Amino acid sequence: MPLDVAPISRSYETQRTLNPPGIPAAAPLPTGETDDTRRIRERFGDDIGAAGLHNGNQVVYVKPAQLKALAAFLRADPQLQYETLIDVTSVDRSHLPLNGDDARFQAIYQFRSYTRNQHLTLVTNCEAAASPAPSADHNETLLPHIDSLTGVFRGADWPEREVYDLMGIQFDGHPDLRRILMPKNWPYHPLQKQTPLGGEEVPFTLTWDDPEFETLGAQILPAESAAPDLPPGMSRENMIINMGPHHPSTHGVLRLVVELDGERVVSIDPDLGFLHSGFEKTAEHKRYKDFVYYTDRMDYLSAMANNLGYCLTVEHMLGLEIPERAQVIRVIMVEMQRIASHLFWLATHVLDVSGTGMSLLMYATRERERILDLFEMVCGARLTVSYIRIGGVWQDLPKAFITELKDFIRVMPQKIREYEAMLTDAPLWQERLAGVGYISREDGLAMGLTGPMLRGSGVDWDLRRDRPYSGYEGYEFEVPTSDRGDCYGRYRVRMEEMRQSIRILQQAVDTLPSGLYKSNNRKVSAPPRAELDVSMEALIHHFKLMTEGFHVSPGFFYHGIEGSKGELGFFVYSDGSAKPYRLHVHGPSFNNLYAIDHISRGEMLSDVVTNIGSIDIVLGEVDR
Amino acid sequence: MGLEQKVPEGILTTTLDSVINWGRANSTWPLLFGLACCAMEMIATGTARHDIARYGSELFRASPRQADLMIVSGRVSNKMAPVIKRIYDQMSAPKWVIAMGICASAGGPFNNYAIIQGVDKIIPVDVYVPGCPPRPESLLYALDKLREKQARESISADRLSQAEEQLAIEEIIPLGA
Repeated sequence: MPLDVAPISRSYETQRTLNPPGIPAAAPLPTGETDDTRRIRERFGDDIGAAGLHNGNQVVYVKPAQLKALAAFLRADPQLQYETLIDVTSVDRSHLPLNGDDARFQAIYQFRSYTRNQHLTLVTNCEAAASPAPSADHNETLLPHIDSLTGVFRGADWPEREVYDLMGIQFDGHPDLRRILMPKNWPYHPLQKQTPLGGEEVPFTLTWDDPEFETLGAQILPAESAAPDLPPGMSRENMIINMGPHHPSTHGVLRLVVELDGERVVSIDPDLGFLHSGFEKTAEHKRYKDFVYYTDRMDYLSAMANNLGYCLTVEHMLGLEIPERAQVIRVIMVEMQRIASHLFWLATHVLDVSGTGMSLLMYATRERERILDLFEMVCGARLTVSYIRIGGVWQDLPKAFITELKDFIRVMPQKIREYEAMLTDAPLWQERLAGVGYISREDGLAMGLTGPMLRGSGVDWDLRRDRPYSGYEGYEFEVPTSDRGDCYGRYRVRMEEMRQSIRILQQAVDTLPSGLYKSNNRKVSAPPRAELDVSMEALIHHFKLMTEGFHVSPGFFYHGIEGSKGELGFFVYSDGSAKPYRLHVHGPSFNNLYAIDHISRGEMLSDVVTNIGSIDIVLGEVDR
Repeated sequence: MGLEQKVPEGILTTTLDSVINWGRANSTWPLLFGLACCAMEMIATGTARHDIARYGSELFRASPRQADLMIVSGRVSNKMAPVIKRIYDQMSAPKWVIAMGICASAGGPFNNYAIIQGVDKIIPVDVYVPGCPPRPESLLYALDKLREKQARESISADRLSQAEEQLAIEEIIPLGA
């Protein structure tokens, strides 16, 4: 039965921004060519629509019929070697002026070659549906469809399910096309443009008789939840148990349906979306500068990294130069955040594995609190910082900050040695971690894993070193890897990463230049408060920025940074207005969590808990 | 006067209500249950610096049967709402609810298709804590407020049966009038 959740359209939320003529506009086609696009053109000829560089990324438009062949070619060709499908997303272009034969839906794929250090974006039109969708999911519009890439890249599984769930694109040949984030009986696809943002009317009245109050609570579902289905591929012959969504060791509201033979895991079907908050839809209704505050709340354990990833993407589209000092401050913040996030990972991982062992939780959070104190010093917040803004950072560092940070850098290596003394050689710790959750290099690449999950399987890749941003090329640090591929290997990688972060912090503190802490470009970055008192021009800039925001030229761009959990990517599609036309977040935990089924098969039930901890998920980022 | 003169020295008398409320207020066990960002601050409240053990609430119980207090720490999605309702129903009375943070209180910045605009639409809330997320000190203050509330309660009319009584009275009065 479809749910009665008719979304409300609120005029004050969905008002278009004031646009110059010619806006909104679709993204322009790429220009120029590179070795890779030349090679692809040689092989596929007329099936390639346009190919070249767009916003500095290699972009190839391919006809839908050849999508699968091209993906297989990208992977197999010795001159290309794109081993990994990083991300799948889509855009509904129905609010853009299109030519007659342009399709409404486009699917967009991000490929990565680790051996050749190349990134490639693939764009393809989705064919309009000829007949109603077979999986009658109560949707009146016919779903567009496109070939699934799961046969080529295993990691396409979940991203494609996400696109199906939120955008309503059918993937032909997908083995398991179910909703992944929304409840299974949800009546519509939220990211389609004709679907309003939803939510409730905000009552601006104090009279109870006002009809505005009638919409209050209208969004709540009927209390009975949908009857649980047996996930495909599972057999009632085995025992099927339910872990979560309220379970102490699933690190949030994750639900795992675990099929057990005795105490051995046969398969796992994760059920996501219990924390789905509609970030991507919300972004379409917020100005660019206003979405920074939302990024904090995605991976809430590394808010600074989220801020940075988003800001870098928009800044690149704007072509904005960031002052030297702001870049170094950003590096300091993001590295501190990496340590804080790893400390929390360590604390919860140890708590999960050793059951009641609270001591490491207390020790690790003791050091984490010091980092949060430093954050509080610069921006007043502990967790949701919003300190890194488009154009630089919010405020300059306070005077006492560097002294405190130096003290932290002095103390921290000793603390890491303390943790390692408690764990690294401890027989219990080794017994629970060594050989558990093994994933091979090839599987890791095929599944699109990133970050410590991939480095723990021997792939020597770090975006900070290999595709540097924010001046990371100027720092000396090592990228720890492990060939073990198990939980213990990933533990060693993360511990070493904390040490390397301290090394980067030390260098950043030593080389912190003086100068501007945010861009002087008044069209993007607000003028300092003191300037408003004396300069009319500053006042106008401030007013324009706060009421209208700034416009980003039409186009799209994907940019990934090395977050603490893996590659944190932001994809922004701009139509030239002051709000993103489409924003997609590639959360590393989402792709990394996909491996839970693979790495847990054949292991004991208690190892599932170890594996969840070792993947290091944050549900805010998985569900978005 | 009265009883105090009869009992030997060193024995105090009090009411049953104050003894029980004293016990309840000093050992309110929260449910080990985190939703989003606020859950991180909830954990921080439990660690050494903020030390929720001073309130007798350090024992986060994973089973709703053993918990007295549900701290709704984060945004409640449409998919999660029935689960929260069920967990709340599984907790045995007396039970209390703290809506931690603006999302649990009123939806916060997420006024969209996915998020319930305040957990009080599905379960009754005793204390609302503002903040995004609230600092650990705010959560401790909420526990203080909860204690004040607990101190006013009486076992003679349990919270839930009190509500039922209220309902029954309302039904009866119009008939008699």
